Amino acid sequence: MLHLLRIDLKKMTSYRTFWVICGIYFFTLIIGAASGMELLRMLSRLIEGFGQEINIDRIPLYHFPDIWQNLAWTSGLLKMGVAIMVVVSITNEYTYRTIRQNIIDGMSREEFLLSKVYTNLLLSLASMVSVFLIAVVTGLIYSPELDFPYAFTGISFYPAYFLEIFAFLSFALMLGIFVQRSGLTIILLLFSYLIELIVKSNVDNYFPGAIQFFPLESIMNLVPMPFARYVFQEIRDQVTILSIAIAAVWTFLFNYFAYLKLKKSDI
Amino acid sequence: METVLSINGLTKTFGRLTAVNNLHLEVKRGQVFGMLGPNGSGKTTTLGMLMGVVNSTSGSFSWFGQPPTSHVRKKIGAVLEHPIFYPYLSGQKNLELMAMIKEAPVANIPKVLELVELKGREHDKYKTYSLGMKQRLAIASALLNDPIVLILDEPTNGLDPMGIAEIREIIKKIAADGKTIILASHLLDEVQKVCTHFAVLKRGNLMHYGPVDDVGKGEEMVEVAAYHDDLGVLLQEFIGSATVKKENNEFLVMMKEGYHSQDLNRFLFDKGIVASHLITKKKTLEKQFLEILAEGQVMNSIKK
Ligand SMILES: Nc1ncnc2c1ncn2[C@@H]1O[C@H](COP(=O)(O)OP(=O)(O)OP(=O)(O)O)[C@@H](O)[C@H]1O
Ligand SMILES: [Mg+2]
Repeated sequence: MLHLLRIDLKKMTSYRTFWVICGIYFFTLIIGAASGMELLRMLSRLIEGFGQEINIDRIPLYHFPDIWQNLAWTSGLLKMGVAIMVVVSITNEYTYRTIRQNIIDGMSREEFLLSKVYTNLLLSLASMVSVFLIAVVTGLIYSPELDFPYAFTGISFYPAYFLEIFAFLSFALMLGIFVQRSGLTIILLLFSYLIELIVKSNVDNYFPGAIQFFPLESIMNLVPMPFARYVFQEIRDQVTILSIAIAAVWTFLFNYFAYLKLKKSDI
Repeated sequence: METVLSINGLTKTFGRLTAVNNLHLEVKRGQVFGMLGPNGSGKTTTLGMLMGVVNSTSGSFSWFGQPPTSHVRKKIGAVLEHPIFYPYLSGQKNLELMAMIKEAPVANIPKVLELVELKGREHDKYKTYSLGMKQRLAIASALLNDPIVLILDEPTNGLDPMGIAEIREIIKKIAADGKTIILASHLLDEVQKVCTHFAVLKRGNLMHYGPVDDVGKGEEMVEVAAYHDDLGVLLQEFIGSATVKKENNEFLVMMKEGYHSQDLNRFLFDKGIVASHLITKKKTLEKQFLEILAEGQVMNSIKK
C-alpha cells in the first residue's frame, strides 16, 4: 500500500501545478477559517445597523462546540479545489499516455487505480487534520470558557468531513477515468451539481424521501449547513448513520465503476 | 531450447477491423526476434497485448510458460512506439519512478544513462529533450531492470545514423549476454544484421516465420559483365542458368539449384571469355520481405 502511494506521490511532488493547487487550497482553508470573525466585524462597519440588530460578539461562530460543525461545513465548500487537483493528476496520465507505460512497466490496472485511491485518502486525511487543527486553534482563541465535555459535541463531524472529501475525490477520479480530458472533466464536475439539482427538483414533487439518496446530495448531507441555528432554526447537529451509509455506498460505487472502466478498456 | 514466449491464436478486433488475426508464434531463449510488416499490419497491437495494455479479443499467450501477470512484466523491458515519460519530470526522476514500479535497484540508473550517452543531461526536464534523446532515454528505461526479455518497437525511430549504429551495437551486446529480444522495425537491413529469427505480418495475419539465416539460402543470383557482344546468348546456353536479365551493362543470372558463381565463371572461361565483373548476390531480407508480402500466402500455424 505504502509502495503504491509513494509511486503516485513521486509523480506529483515534482509537479509545480500540484504545489500551486495544494498551496491555494490549504491557504484558503486557513485564511478562510481564521478570518470569519473579521469578516463579520467588517460587515458591521460597512452596513449600518448590522451590529446593532445582531450583536456580532454574541454569535458563537468560533466558540466550542459550534466551531466544529461551522468549520467542517465551510471547509467542505472548498473541496472542489482538491478535486481539480485529482482530475489533473488522472487526466495527465491519459494525455501523456503515462498510464500505458506504467502498465507496461509492470503495474497492474488494479494497482494503478489503487495508487490514485490511496492519494485520495491521503488528501482527505490531510484536509481533515488541517481543518481540525484550525478548529482547535481558533476555538481556543475565541471561546470565552471551556466547558468539557460539552465543548466536544459535534466533533464526530470530522470523520464525516473526511468521508465527504474522500467521496467527492472518488467521484472526481471516476469522472477523470471516464472522460480522460482535464478541461471537459472539470466542466462536468461543476455541471454535475446542476444536473443533479434539475433531476432532484423533478423527483422532489413525487418522492421527497428519495432526495437524500442522490450521490452529490448524499455527500453534502454528511455535514449539514449549521448557520440556520443563529436565526433560531432547528438544525441537525449530529452525524447520522444513514447519511454515512449512503455516502459510503456511493464512494464504493464511484471507485468500483472506475475499476470496471479501467479493467475493460485498452490503454 | 527454453520457450520464452508462446502465442496461441491471439486475435484483436477493433470494431469491424481485425488488427491481429489468430496469431501463433514462439520465441525461444536467446533469440533476437524481428517482427516485420507494413504500416498497420498489427505489430504494435500484438506487442500491446503481450504487455497488458491492449485486451485481446481471443486467444492466449504465456511468458516463460506462465500465464501473463503484472509481475512477469516487471522483468521485461519494453518500449512500444513512442517514448512515454512525464514531461515535467527530469530524465533522472522519470527513471527513479520507473525503478520504483519495476522494483529495480536505483543504482542501475547511472549505468543505463551511461550506456545510452545521456549522462550530463539527466537532470534536465524530459520535455526539453530532442527526439533522439527521448529515444535514448526510452532504451535506457527498458534496460533499467536488467531485463530477461527486451521488447523494442521501432527503437531507432528519429535517431541519427550514428545513433542507429550505436543502438545496433547495444542490441548485439545485449543479445550476446543471452538475452531474448523482440524487435519491431521497418529498417530491414538492421533487422538482417541483428536478428536471428523473423516473422512477417500483413493485415494482422502471419505470412512468414523462420530464421534469418535461411534468407540467403536457395537460388543464387550472379551479376556478370564481359567484353563480348553475344554474352546474353551465351549465358542462356549455360545449363546452370534459370533466367537471364539484362540490367544496364550487366546481366543478372538467376542460378538453378546446385549451381554457383564459380560454375558460371568456369563456363565463360572455357568459352574464352574473361568476365570483367562477377558478383554473387545473396538475397536480401528486403527482397524476401517484399516477395513474402506479394505472395499473399497466409501461414496460420507454425511448425514447432
Ligand atoms: N485503438 C485503436 N482503435 C482502432 N483501431 C486501431 C487501434 N489501434 C490500432 N488500430 C488499428 O489496428 C491496425 C494495426 O495497428 P498497429 O499499430 O498494430 O500497426 P503496426 O504494425 O504497429 O504499424 P506501424 O508499422 O505503422 O507501426 C491498424 O489498422 C490500426 O488502424
Ligand atoms: Mg507500430
